[in-house]
Amino acid sequence: MNDFPTATEAAIARWFAVAPPNDPGRRMVADLTHTIAAFEALRGSMVFEDEPSSFEAALLATKETGL
Amino acid sequence: MTAADGGDGNLANLTLVEAAEAVRTGQATSRALLDACWANLEKANPVLNATIWLDRERADADAKAADRAVAEGKPLGKLHGVPMAHKDMYYQAGRLSTAGSALRRNWRPAITGTAVARMAEQGAYVFGGLNMAEFAQNPTGHNKTFGDCHNPWNPPYITGGSSSGSGAAVAARMTFAALGSDTGGSIRLPAAACGVSGIKPTQTRVSRYGAMPLSFSHDNVGPLCRTARDCARIMTVIAGQDPMDPTSSREPVPDYEAALTGDIRGLRIGVPSTFFLDTVDAPVLAAMEDALAVLQARGATIVRMTLPLMDAVAAYGGIVSRVEAATIHAQWMRDDPQAYGQHISSRMFPGYAIPAPYYIESLSRRGPILRAFAAEVFAKVDVLATPTIPTCLPTLAETDIDHGPPGTEYKFLAVSINTRPFNYLGLPAVSVNCGFDPNGCPIGLQIAGRPFGEARILRVADAYQRDTDFHTGRPGVLS
Repeated sequence: MNDFPTATEAAIARWFAVAPPNDPGRRMVADLTHTIAAFEALRGSMVFEDEPSSFEAALLATKETGL
Repeated sequence: MTAADGGDGNLANLTLVEAAEAVRTGQATSRALLDACWANLEKANPVLNATIWLDRERADADAKAADRAVAEGKPLGKLHGVPMAHKDMYYQAGRLSTAGSALRRNWRPAITGTAVARMAEQGAYVFGGLNMAEFAQNPTGHNKTFGDCHNPWNPPYITGGSSSGSGAAVAARMTFAALGSDTGGSIRLPAAACGVSGIKPTQTRVSRYGAMPLSFSHDNVGPLCRTARDCARIMTVIAGQDPMDPTSSREPVPDYEAALTGDIRGLRIGVPSTFFLDTVDAPVLAAMEDALAVLQARGATIVRMTLPLMDAVAAYGGIVSRVEAATIHAQWMRDDPQAYGQHISSRMFPGYAIPAPYYIESLSRRGPILRAFAAEVFAKVDVLATPTIPTCLPTLAETDIDHGPPGTEYKFLAVSINTRPFNYLGLPAVSVNCGFDPNGCPIGLQIAGRPFGEARILRVADAYQRDTDFHTGRPGVLS
């Protein structure tokens, strides 16, 4: 993973033409390994839900009803 | 005028509800309210740096019109004659809206945002734009372009962000209320750090039309005020479906103020034993436990519990905010990245590397996660209570990514760890002051509820404020 930050910065430059703005930005790109690890840990934990609008439905389905 | 004015006749000490009532009944003029706010502004703002622009000339005209309407016996709205200033990201046609950034230093929108318009329909007027994190993107109150905002209780310490000026100005009695916005805690954090009350509504509850976007999925519009009752008054005015914001909910809007009965007998309050307390400091924990005892004495039951799915909430929520912010700012990040503070551009930069399938997965699992979370949690309790910020407040210097050593970003990001989950879940959450840390900085209690449960969480917050006086304290900057 040592080349991860460099490779990632290159991918960002290629896809978005955005350059690393500063050193903290470079460090935060390196920290994306934690994001990947968090996603890896969740794999298989839930069934894929292919209806993106279901969040609004969930808000209504779980709403406050009493007071 | 009332006990709330501290007995010194200073109208700026009135709460929003009291101020509106004073104007309505002729006990005070709108002009007098404006003068009182302005006196505090002139006293405190040189220390706090809570404003970006001010328009006294127009405010005088608005106050005069408000007082004339009272004299002529015209129908008066719920906020009639109350002067306000808002986070400088709410669009008002023809007036500045800088978003706290050099990139919009002179920008004047052609439209007026729905929340501001609805408050104006009820008689409020705006005298200025308040300091904020650049593009609403930090939890501390740092600002490269307009200068950092300082805590009214202890100026070297953070105000919380991103609605930094809103928190500081309400605490320092420079305004009776201020709109903030909340994408990861940006209303609740400054409410907590500045010792005021602030509510992030349910996702979709308040129109975002005319509010600068940061994250389409997580952005919320809401108020910071001195009391929960003041928040209820504002929420009753601004909530509800808006044709200009197709994401706004059609759910009926209750009279939130009418729900503030003080009765919380039988209420079950869940206190998460993990995640929200993982990094808690002892003074913060002690203040929260004292607050829980107050609520218990009013008839609530405390339930210690572990919350489900928090790893997923944290992982997926972080993806959504980062990708959406990076997308919105892509052109500026290409053209003028140095216009941003380092703490802003550095956090957006990794957003471009997150694969689209991660983003889609994060969004598509939001509904199922909310259903599972609600089914398990709200079967056992009615609301959740946590510290808003788990640690004693850090200083601005300790969280200054732009000038601090490597690693400063972790202290910076830790500020919002307890507020971010409720943005992904879409749940309403309010923060109220529940004490002070050893540095004299406020401590916030966060109360979250079911979707569209604003009335319940505001009732709990109001019940707490009936038995405590933390919300009435005057910060040292006014001494």
